[in-house]
Amino acid sequence: MNYSLLQVELLVALLGLGVLLADLWLPPRHRRALGLAAAAGLMLVFIVGIRGAVDTYAGAAEYAFGAPKARTGMYVLDNLAVFFKQFFLLAGILVLLMSVEYSDRIGSGVSEFFALVIFALLGMLFAASANDLVLLFASLELVTITFVVLNSYQRGRAASIEAGVKYLIMGALASAFMVFGIALVFGSANTTNFSEIHAAQKQLAGNPVFLVGLAMLLGGLLFKIAAVPFQMWAPDVYQGSPAPATAFLAVGSKAAGIVLLLRVLFGAVPQITAQWSHLLVWIAALTILYGSLCAIPQRSLKRLMGYSSIANAGYLLLGFASLRAEGVNGVLYYLAGYLFTVLAAFAVVCVVLRHTDSDDLSALAGLGQRSPLLAGALALAMASLAGIPPLAGFLGKFLLLKSIVPNGAYDPGYYCLLGVAVFGVVVSLYYYFGVIRAVYWGGQASDLSPIATSWPVRIALAVCIAGIFWLGLFPDNLLSLTGPAAGVFGKLATPASWPANAH
Amino acid sequence: MPAFTDLLFLAFAGLTLLFGFLCVANPLSRNPVTSAMFLVLTIVSLAGLYVLLHAFFLAAVQILVYAGAVMVLFLFVIMLLDLGEEDRRKLNRVALISGTAAVLGLAGVLVRALWSAKGAAATGATLVEGNTAPLGRILFQSYVLPFEILSILLLVALVGVILLSKKELK
Repeated sequence: MNYSLLQVELLVALLGLGVLLADLWLPPRHRRALGLAAAAGLMLVFIVGIRGAVDTYAGAAEYAFGAPKARTGMYVLDNLAVFFKQFFLLAGILVLLMSVEYSDRIGSGVSEFFALVIFALLGMLFAASANDLVLLFASLELVTITFVVLNSYQRGRAASIEAGVKYLIMGALASAFMVFGIALVFGSANTTNFSEIHAAQKQLAGNPVFLVGLAMLLGGLLFKIAAVPFQMWAPDVYQGSPAPATAFLAVGSKAAGIVLLLRVLFGAVPQITAQWSHLLVWIAALTILYGSLCAIPQRSLKRLMGYSSIANAGYLLLGFASLRAEGVNGVLYYLAGYLFTVLAAFAVVCVVLRHTDSDDLSALAGLGQRSPLLAGALALAMASLAGIPPLAGFLGKFLLLKSIVPNGAYDPGYYCLLGVAVFGVVVSLYYYFGVIRAVYWGGQASDLSPIATSWPVRIALAVCIAGIFWLGLFPDNLLSLTGPAAGVFGKLATPASWPANAH
Repeated sequence: MPAFTDLLFLAFAGLTLLFGFLCVANPLSRNPVTSAMFLVLTIVSLAGLYVLLHAFFLAAVQILVYAGAVMVLFLFVIMLLDLGEEDRRKLNRVALISGTAAVLGLAGVLVRALWSAKGAAATGATLVEGNTAPLGRILFQSYVLPFEILSILLLVALVGVILLSKKELK
């Protein structure tokens, strides 16, 4: 057993336990320093651990925890896993910097908040490497349970408790369905390993018990990314939770769901996925419509981000529905842009919440004069989410839309999906620019005193802004990473009704 | 003439369904304590099914943990809450109809799937007897990674419960 494969996860687990222990001896005034130290530790893992992991697997996939020599372990380290590990670590670092800024609003248990963020990150790192339903379930539960605690962290606020309880109940329901589905899959396939399911998918495609189990499993994963019909929880939970927890939920938890969906749909059962292309088209279209239309009347910035997150789940599903490596590539690129934009937006929310105690759009009035940095970052994030060139969101949306266009020749449903997606983009211009308008032309503000930002937030914002521009202006750098990551699934299967040379 | 184990299976399966139904929709009593007691009986009948599947350890754990520890916790929570409120509450018709429809729909899909899959044998079965020794070997060899992840999950749950329920935190 080669433990160097797991070095990123082992280091992060040790860091989390270290933060939990350090709190015992550290005087309370050093709590902020502990958060910064944890962020620095993650930075070190990002540099050292990822390089070590890349050296270990050297381009081809390496498996662990399975029969020796067989390429069927439950833990896999390949280009896709490393891409997502970098993604999660970067998100974790930025969220920790945000949590340091937010720590005086959390009140009690600040160090535990940092430790829980790291443990949620650990669950996501394992999810990136899951090649087995058991590991999928264990890592997702680690993420879900940790977020239940993080969401209800401000236990003095009713909204935060409500968010935690809602997430707990809905999450438990989704997990129950998922574990039921896993049981049915295991009962019909007699294995939980993705590689073994892949080898047997021809027989399994005709087994209705397996298909029902797979559908239930997908339901659980769609809950994670907040896609229709499992999206009800998102706006309430986003609005009530502490801002750093919401930010991590929006970026990390969604990406964990996406990587597991990729592993299941394209890694384990690509042929069944191809037969289900209509289902994917429908879910993507409904998710985009629901998120975009419901976002229009929102006045609370966090709630708006909740609906925007639903709409973005829909755009990500376009890449799945395309059944092409280009689509998967688009999903990865879009997620990377989404990381920077959403974290920039929530970093601003963190600071503004501290000063105005409200996340209503009217509270943003005068932000352009009070803090040009915060206003600029928020405006950039919104413009990127709306898909304005040359920002990160534009190229991501472009890649996703482009990936489904050729499929319209075989299935007109894809043209309808394209129309829905373009409609969603147009509608989103309205509500994203509503935020920008509130920032710069938001009427008379009662308080025009400048807002001071601490240096951790300034670093986080600088990284996010740089990322938004870098991804938009120099896409080649990231595309050289996403290409091989999307290539781990090889040539994807197409529906039987399409011509054989459809790709 | 069905074998004795088949009769036992039918008895335990029937009892599980009956007690499960009485737990959620008892026509005679809406007292939560009664429901909790029927839940105990459901769990015990399920343990009987596990024994029939030769999963002896699972059956023992089911009784010890679920029928014992978890149920005591349930009862504590029920007793701490106001019991009269549950009796006074009217049945919500919309919830009743949508809930029944959801249950029937799910049951229909499952029954249809199982029915049409009848005879499709599982591929390459490698069964493990449900004793503790083979179970422990599997748990600490091939499944050690999820096992350790769950241990961290328990740590997170512990920290979370203390944080959310402790009266005053420094």
